Amino acid sequence: MSALRFEKLTAGYGRKPVITGLEGEAQSGRFIALLGPNGCGKSTLLKSLAGILPVKSGQIAHGNTNVRLLPNALRARTIAYLSQQRDIVWPLSVREIIALGRAPYRGPLGKISAQGQAKIDDVIARLDLSEYSNRSILELSGGEVARVLLARALVVDAPVLLADEPFASLDPAAQIQMTEILKSEATTGKTVICAMHDLALAQHYADEIWLMKDGAFIAKGTPSEVLNDTNLVQTFGIHPPEGGFNLPRIAKA
Amino acid sequence: MAGRTVKLSLLIIATILIALASLFIGSTDIAPMAALKAMFGQGEEAHILILQQLRLPRTLLGLAIGAGLGASGAALQGYSRNPLADPGVLGFSACAALGAVAALYFGLRTYVPLFALIGAGLGATLLVALVGQRQRASVLILAGVGLGALATAVTGLIMNFAPNPWALSEIVYWMMGSLREAGPSALIYCLPLTAAGLIALFITAPDLRTLALGEDTAQSLGVSLPRLQILLVSGVALCVGSGVAVAGAIGFVGLFIPHILRALIGADPARLVPYSALAGAGFLVLADMATRAISSNGATLYLGILTSLIGVPFFLWLATRKMSS
Repeated sequence: MSALRFEKLTAGYGRKPVITGLEGEAQSGRFIALLGPNGCGKSTLLKSLAGILPVKSGQIAHGNTNVRLLPNALRARTIAYLSQQRDIVWPLSVREIIALGRAPYRGPLGKISAQGQAKIDDVIARLDLSEYSNRSILELSGGEVARVLLARALVVDAPVLLADEPFASLDPAAQIQMTEILKSEATTGKTVICAMHDLALAQHYADEIWLMKDGAFIAKGTPSEVLNDTNLVQTFGIHPPEGGFNLPRIAKA
Repeated sequence: MAGRTVKLSLLIIATILIALASLFIGSTDIAPMAALKAMFGQGEEAHILILQQLRLPRTLLGLAIGAGLGASGAALQGYSRNPLADPGVLGFSACAALGAVAALYFGLRTYVPLFALIGAGLGATLLVALVGQRQRASVLILAGVGLGALATAVTGLIMNFAPNPWALSEIVYWMMGSLREAGPSALIYCLPLTAAGLIALFITAPDLRTLALGEDTAQSLGVSLPRLQILLVSGVALCVGSGVAVAGAIGFVGLFIPHILRALIGADPARLVPYSALAGAGFLVLADMATRAISSNGATLYLGILTSLIGVPFFLWLATRKMSS
């Protein structure tokens, strides 16, 4: 299994870089929580890894492949990206939205292969979206839309999944369910890097935490190594609560 | 899926019937069989002249211009993710009109189409130069709206300094839009340019579908925004430019055709591009037939006026409905 590596990565908007000289290696099978205050460069890092934001300098590799040299469609098949934006203007059906995740595999006539259709069916079933699949995305609640967009990212079936605060503004149960889905993706051998703000979710689910501030990494390691008093004071200006970050448990229905 | 095939077949049949009606119905009564023969150069000389020199070019140009406007509107709505976008938002129709009005101002009546095409071409070049690497749709649309406003202002300036009332009235009438003067010579440039524009817009269709998820996600799925932008700008400039060159300003077709289709065949931005081309083609020929039927001795109803009269109330309804939802 291949790792996603980046070296001396500098990127940003306009002339001023937001992240400078970042280095990191995300092993396959790992669920990595990317933490840090708003504006610290989490989104910039994920967008530059996903090919959305042009990289000013540095290397990005997946295994032995230089990601920056890959044609768009091949890069898209290697690194999937889940945005925090959930504003969809057209009343497309849930299935149509999810099928957009197969865009990197599309032939000249835009047909989705039988294998692609099977992947879509599989993800729809796994995320419990079967009853919605013909409904318009505009009729769904915020939590349901978030789940549909997660399904859209999963059908890409890329070895790397980058998620940028995909649970922002979701209720606690939905956040836990979505994190569990991302975690289960990692256990199938994928690399998952997820920017988030919920320290309890990160502590509970992440294999690794990458802590960022002002465009640089403050610490990287397991949750217990990273979420200590010194790091949290330095990054967020907070002390960890007594007894650690506890996660609410989902009540059995 | 089956329902969509039926709807597509109905749309094709309707467009063909409209085109045939446009060939067979006119101020001179010609029986359908005689008209069909005349189209291929057989029968009475007067009939041959009317079919080959008037009705056939007018119908073909109406189909081409309507297709270009419909497809441009659908593509721009998909690109900007905004149902209120129309082919005018990139400013090319205003630039083409500026070129045509400049030709009329200088008394170069026969060069109006050429000047209109040059206007649209320069507008497209200027827009791409202005926007450059800033690839966001919002930036392109904003720059296009600005460009259109500037071209309209300069057009106003030219009219302000029109050399005489005749030149001014010629400009005013031209700006109302009409297929009256669409002759066989216009086919030579309008059909290939519109075809090239339509091909460019059809190529953008799958990317427009992916863009429904937003620009960031579309890029992560392999969409190249600079490539999409250049295809869209050239496609719209070719369709709108050649349309204005032949028929002057014809508004609102590109706005409401994609909307009606969205209600009929669904909101998939990719599918809407070819469907809107087809429906736009049929609609414009139908509207042209209506202007021919309404216009009587002396008084002429201009096509652009009719499409705006239909389009503006629709636009208002759409805008207020969007605001209230």
